[in-house]
This record gives sequence, C-alpha cells and structure tokens, in this order.
Amino acid sequence: MRSIPVLSRVARVALLLPLVGAVTLLAQQGAPGLVTNQEILDGLKEDGRNWLTFGGNYANHRFSPLTQITPENVATLQPQWTFQTNTLGNFETTTLVRDNILYVTGPQNVAWAVDARSGRQIWRYRRELPATGLTACCGLVNRGFAVLGDKLFMTTLDAHLLALDMKTGAIVWDATLEDYKIGYASTIAPIVVKDKVIVGVAGGEYGIRGFIDAYEANTGKRAWRFYTIPGPGEPGHNTWAGDSWKIGGTGVWVTGAYDPETNSLFYGTGNPGPDYHSESREGDNLYSDSLVVLDADTGKLKWHYQFTPHDVHDYDSTEVPILADIPVNGQMRKVVMFANRNGFYYTLDRNTGKIIVAKPFVVTTWAKEIDAQGRPMLIPGHTPDEKGETTCPDLTGGTNFWQPAFDPRTRLFFVNAREACATFYAYKPEYVPGQRFTGGAQQLVNTRDNKPYGAIRALDPATGERKWEFVMPTPSRSGILTTTTNLLFTGDNEGNVIALDSRNGKLLWHHQMGANLHGTSPVTYMLDGRQQLLVPSGTTLTAWALPAVPRATAQQ
Amino acid sequence: MSMLQRSAAVFLTALGLSASVAVHAQPAAGNPYNGNEAAIKTGMGLFRIRCADCHGMDAKGVRGPDLTQVWASGRTDDGLFGTLRAGVPGTEMPAIDVRTPDDEVWKLLAYLRTLAAPAPSEQVAGNAQNGERIYRVNCASCHRVNGRGGRIGPDLSRIGVARARPVLIRRIRGAMEDFLSGYEPVTVTTMNGQTVQGVKKNEDLFSVQVMDSRERLQGYLRSDVRDVTGGKQSAMPVFGPERLSENDLNDLLSYLSTLRGFDPSVK
Ligand code: HEC
Ligand code: HEC
Repeated sequence: MRSIPVLSRVARVALLLPLVGAVTLLAQQGAPGLVTNQEILDGLKEDGRNWLTFGGNYANHRFSPLTQITPENVATLQPQWTFQTNTLGNFETTTLVRDNILYVTGPQNVAWAVDARSGRQIWRYRRELPATGLTACCGLVNRGFAVLGDKLFMTTLDAHLLALDMKTGAIVWDATLEDYKIGYASTIAPIVVKDKVIVGVAGGEYGIRGFIDAYEANTGKRAWRFYTIPGPGEPGHNTWAGDSWKIGGTGVWVTGAYDPETNSLFYGTGNPGPDYHSESREGDNLYSDSLVVLDADTGKLKWHYQFTPHDVHDYDSTEVPILADIPVNGQMRKVVMFANRNGFYYTLDRNTGKIIVAKPFVVTTWAKEIDAQGRPMLIPGHTPDEKGETTCPDLTGGTNFWQPAFDPRTRLFFVNAREACATFYAYKPEYVPGQRFTGGAQQLVNTRDNKPYGAIRALDPATGERKWEFVMPTPSRSGILTTTTNLLFTGDNEGNVIALDSRNGKLLWHHQMGANLHGTSPVTYMLDGRQQLLVPSGTTLTAWALPAVPRATAQQ
Repeated sequence: MSMLQRSAAVFLTALGLSASVAVHAQPAAGNPYNGNEAAIKTGMGLFRIRCADCHGMDAKGVRGPDLTQVWASGRTDDGLFGTLRAGVPGTEMPAIDVRTPDDEVWKLLAYLRTLAAPAPSEQVAGNAQNGERIYRVNCASCHRVNGRGGRIGPDLSRIGVARARPVLIRRIRGAMEDFLSGYEPVTVTTMNGQTVQGVKKNEDLFSVQVMDSRERLQGYLRSDVRDVTGGKQSAMPVFGPERLSENDLNDLLSYLSTLRGFDPSVK
C-alpha cells in the first residue's frame, strides 16, 4: 500500500474500531507471526520464508534448498544494506528469519528485530547486566534466539533464560538458570522441542557443575534438568576423585541436535575443570567432553559417548553434532557426525552410540587412534605439568564451536579446521567461587616454520577421508552454510566472506567485510522473490542479493 | 623523562646503583612487596593460576594484552592495583573480588614487575654514550627513537622497558626464531618482473600490504602480481661479533636501556 502514512493510519483505526472482536479472532486463528512446531520440524524449505532454528533444521545441516544463487552467478552478489549494532563486541549469532523480519541476538545481550527489506531496526532489547562479576570465559557473546508461537528465547550472560515478545521485544518471562556469581553464564542458542526450550550453561573455566535444562515455553517453569556430572549414587559419579565432581565444569554452551524419530536430544559437553591439572580430578570425569543423548521429554540419559576421557587440554566437545542417514559399506545407517576439538572426526550410530568412523582430520598428537571400544589410545607424555608439554591440536582445537555443515545430496561433511599446536602447562589451582579455575595455560606454537593455519575441509562421513580442502593463511572461526546449488559460504580470519564450490573447494567469490565471521555462518532466505545472503561479521549484518531484475517489465 | 630525573639517574648510575631502578617514573613505595623474593614467588603462583590463561605464562599476552609493558606505557603500581581490583568493566578482564586480600594483589604485581624490567643483576654497566654513537651508525636508518630515524623496523623509544636484555641480545645477534608481526620480510614480484622488497604490514588471502625498503607503503592484490614470497631471513641484518664486538654490544645495550618511553625533549 503506497498511501500517505498518516492518512492510512487514521483510515485503519477508523476501520478497525467497530471490528475489535473480529481482530482478536484473527489473532487466535494464527496470525502470520505465530511459529508452529511443525514449521520448526520442517526446517529450511524451498519457499525460503523461514530460518527458525539454530542449524536451519533439527539435524543442524545448515543446508539451504534455495536455488537462485549459484556457482555461476555468486560473484555478482551485491550488498543491499548493512546493519550496525552500535554495541561493543561481535556477532556470534545465527539469525532467525520469519516473514521478512530478522531476529538477531548480539553481544552483551542486546537483541533486535530488523526489517529484512531495509536493514532498519524494528525493536531493540537490552538486558541490564551486572556491572562486574560476569564470568563468560571467552567474550560477552550470544549464539542466537529460538522461537515458538509469538515468543523468542534467549540465554543471558548472567545465566538466565528470557522469553521476549516477538512483536515488541518486551520480556514475557525471565527464568534463572543459576547464580552467575559462582561462575555460571549462558551464551548458547536454545532450541525448542515440542513445548519446551532446551538450554545449557557455560562456566567450565569457573568450577561450575554443568547441566542441560528444559523450560516450559509458555511459562518459563523448569521441566527437567540433566546434570552433566553425575551426583552421588548415580552411574559415572565414581569417575571423579573425591569432591572434584562438585566443581568439575562440563558446561554446555553449543546447541545440540534433535531426532524426532526417537525423541532424542544430542548435546556435546564441555571440558572438565580445572582444565589442565590432571591430579585435581583423577578418573574419566564423566560426562565431560562427551556426546550425551537425552530423552527430550524427561531429560533422562539414553546413552553417552566420551570423546576425551580425563581431558587435560581443554578439549570441550561443544561442537555442533549433525544427524543424517547415510550409506556405510553399502548399508543405510542412522548416524550422528561430530568433528571434535580433540582433532578426531567421528561418525557414530545415533541409536546405539557405536563407533563407525573415528579418524583425525587435523594433526593430532595426544592419541594414536580410537580403539574398537571407542577409547582413545593415548600417546605418552601429553599430561601438562610445570615444565610444559607440546600437543596438537592446541586448546582451541582442530575445530570448535563454529558450525560445520552437511550436504545430504552429496553426503559431504564440511568443517572449518585449524592446524595448531601448543605447549600446555599445569599447576595445582585453588578453587575460589566465581574465580577462574583452570590450573594452567597454553602457549601457542607459532614460529617461523611452524605457523598455525586454517582450512575448510570436506570429509566423507562414511570413511572420514578428506575429499578436498581450501587452505587459509591463519585459522578462521567462521561457521559454514551450504546450498543445494553446490555453494559453500564461510569466512576467513582476515575478514573475508568467501564462497566456495562445495564439490571441489574452488574459490568463487570473496568480499572483505572488515571483520571476521566469528563463530557463526551466513544464513540465506527469500525476500520478495530474491534470495538473500545475510553475513554477520564483527558488529555488522550485511544482506547480499543478485542484481535485481529491471522493474520496467514487472507488473505493478 | 624530565631533565631533573635524567640528571638524577646519571648521578645514581655514577654511584653504582642500577639505572633501571632509579629512572622508573613511579615511586617504588607504591607496592610494599616490590623486590621481596618470597612475595614474588607467591605472586608468580597467583599469576599462573589466575592470569596466565589470558595473559600468557610469560605475561606477554594471549587473549589479554602484554603485561610486561604496562609500566613502560606509564601505568603505576597504584593504578594497576586499581585495575586488578575493578577489572576492566565490559571486557573479559575480571575483577579480583574482595575475598582476595590486598596483599595478594600486591604480591601479584610484585611478580609482574619482575617481568617488566630487565633484572638489575644482569646489567653490566657499559658506555651508553658510545652505545648511542653505535646506534646512530648501525641502527637509526631503520629504527625510530623519539621521533627520529627510519621506519622499516619497530620504534625503539620504549625498548629499554619493553624487552629484557637477553631478548635484545638475541635480536641483535640474529638468533630470534620469530619475526615480529608487521615486520616479516616479503618480496613482491610484479607482472612486469620488477621486485619490491620490504616488510609485510598485513595480508590476507587476496592482498598484501608492504612497506618497501624506501618506506613506501603500498598494497598489492595477489591477482595483479606475479608472486608474493615471504623470506626466511629477517629484514633486520645480523650483527655478529665480527660486526659488533662484545664491548660495543654492551655499550649499545646500555644506550638501549635508557630508552624508556617517547621523550620529545631528547634530540
Ligand atoms: C578472562 C581473561 C583474563 C583474565 C583471567 C585476566 N585478564 Fe587481565 N585483561 C584481559 C583483557 C581482555 C584485558 C584488556 C581489557 C581492555 O580491553 O582494556 C586485560 C587487561 C589487563 C590489565 C590492564 C593492562 C593495561 O594496559 O592497562 C592488567 C594490568 C591485567 N589485565 C592484569 C591481569 C592480572 C594480574 C590477572 C590475574 C589476576 C588478569 N589480568 C586476568 C583478560 C584477562
Ligand atoms: C635494515 C634495517 C634494520 C637495521 C639496520 C636494524 N634493524 Fe633492528 N629491526 C629491523 C626489523 C625489520 C626488525 C623486526 C625484526 C623481525 O621481525 O625479524 C627489527 C627488530 C629489532 C628489535 C626488536 C624490537 C622489538 O620490539 O622487540 C631490536 C631491539 C632491534 N631491531 C635493534 C636493532 C639495533 C640495536 C640495530 C643496530 C645494531 C638494528 N636493530 C638495526 C630492521 C633493522
């Protein structure tokens, strides 16, 4: 409608006055804003209207069926607009998309609704954070919203979970996860499963006891809690010497996957604490550095697989798990795929947890291989002490929280890998509530002849073999988006957004954004018939699209 | 450094006291534990456990800044005490909360202080005046001090507090295993076969930014040039014993140790 705005508002009010009852009815019938469970379950569809959950779909594929942007035309992408946060800190968010509106969380728990047509803000929410005492180890970031009905869900740096009104950004409810003063924080993007919102906490460097929680989407009431460290009497409790379980860390700060077939949640868990000091917590330290599989209704553990028993290198397993059905040795298998910070790539049977593939995807020196029982065969001499020992990968790992992607047509798993080693030191730490509790540190190996670097790698999940790689001068922290037109979008550490041909890793397009894509990938959606690529980098979001078809021929 | 401080420093040096102690801008009285061996040891433990993760085992910075240079940058003991107590709000730098007693914070700083300045015992008094002459002949074409000199190498106006003596010796003798970032040697070969030699200011997959040997700044798109190679040899020449005797090196180091922050009054 292109009428004069003031007039149109007057006209509309006049029109609506006698019709209030009818309008209410309309809302109840499902005004276009209301997000349903079915839509989340559907994932990314050809109409491109929605991006409603962290990984695009519950299986975390980050694979778009949109077809306008192709290897042939990607180099003609043009910027449409740029949005700036005007806030310190960088985006680490996966933008949600609904009906031409973007829902974005930013640093310091600021969040926005943004008009996808113009990049203009619709509303802004800002949480009043405590001035001191926040313990987020690694930046005041947030990894994105979840959505259901007319509510958005966001975790906070002071360890709360909020529901915001999608239309206004106003708080609907505010649930406390835990006390931030004793080391808890939350940065994870929640997911919605049925009527529940699933979240986890950060704090593995602060002596917390980690957990995964479910909250009623309507009320904010807690439905269940799964402690990632078993309490007295529970199986696995005796894998922690003495009282070490009470402060054993094992946060959950990266979003997991959901399998509706079995109603199972798949979450990677964080490092045991203190990170580096072995004697502070003898034992395997379950369920640190594990994949835990939970019943989504009850939070009961179905099975677990521990990638790194008794980790002493801060190898959180908080990477993004991806679910798929793939042929392995001629047989269809239901699998969960996992490129781990510890340097190994895993394909597990997602119903039993049995190892199908476990193979290093970067230089890995702490374990020789993974044995038939799924236990790493350790290489001696890789326990940090005061003198220091050198291990690959470094603590940031072979990969980390930035998202991998999966192409279900070609069955390639794409990971942003790092080649880096470090010298690890350990000391006996003292636990002080709310203080850093790591018991050591690392120094990156970074010499003239041994420089860390990064690479986008395509792996065959049936074998763990590398199909191609795209090497970058320094390790990057960008997530990956892939499309059905054989495109892969990611970023390098120097601030370029990059498009590769997902069949061979060939470079197709790049643009210097001025800041890197950090722990997040672009997303793509349709807007008025044109496919958009939304690139979060630094403090900006920039929308890209192919040049518009000239207006002259279009019907008005 | 004011004239007054400078002459005081010279006077103390003449008395056989270490110049490095005397010329520090802030009163040593700020931290009751400065130089106290037992306190420094406790401080080291505290640092390694609470700070090394972000600032590095050698305090030269990992996720947080290089702390070996904070005094050189003009911070005082009292100011730093305040920083540690309050943290740096809005950043990852945490506050040391009230459960940690003051004296532990001072001990931490006493330890950090030992990393900031060259240890006095290592310093053998040389002839700084001769050192300055050697510097002018051999070094000034590439390095700047107090606004004068070349720019191929890093500014050395604060080098006396920024780096420990053994590190300086290794750098001058050509025994460093690392390039400083922003000073890596690079050669660009253009399409018509011309070569540009210089130091690399920055680079990414698609471009490289160079200061050439004539101090010209220029960016090159990789797609527009024939070749970009990083050298193995530092852009700083090696000053071996045949070029720079032990005595001259010692004098040079004495001069360098007087460089403690940009001082426009020094010509
Ligand atoms: C979680 C990481 C982290 C930890 C742990 C940490 N720091 Fe920092 N520190 C930082 C960051 C980041 C900054 C820079 C803040 C800014 O942007 O100004 C900083 C700044 C500082 C500064 C100010 C430097 C200047 O130039 O003025 C000092 C001094 C300092 N830290 C000392 C310490 C000490 C001592 C400890 C241990 C008690 C410690 N830090 C622990 C991350 C950390
Ligand atoms: C041809 C230019 C050149 C000359 C001459 C030169 N340097 Fe350098 N210098 C450099 C460069 C370039 C670097 C960086 C070295 C690297 O990264 O390999 C450097 C690094 C240094 C550093 C390390 C600075 C830091 O921040 O750690 C010191 C100290 C130094 N030079 C001292 C000297 C002295 C003393 C002389 C004279 C005896 C000298 N240089 C002569 C180019 C030069």
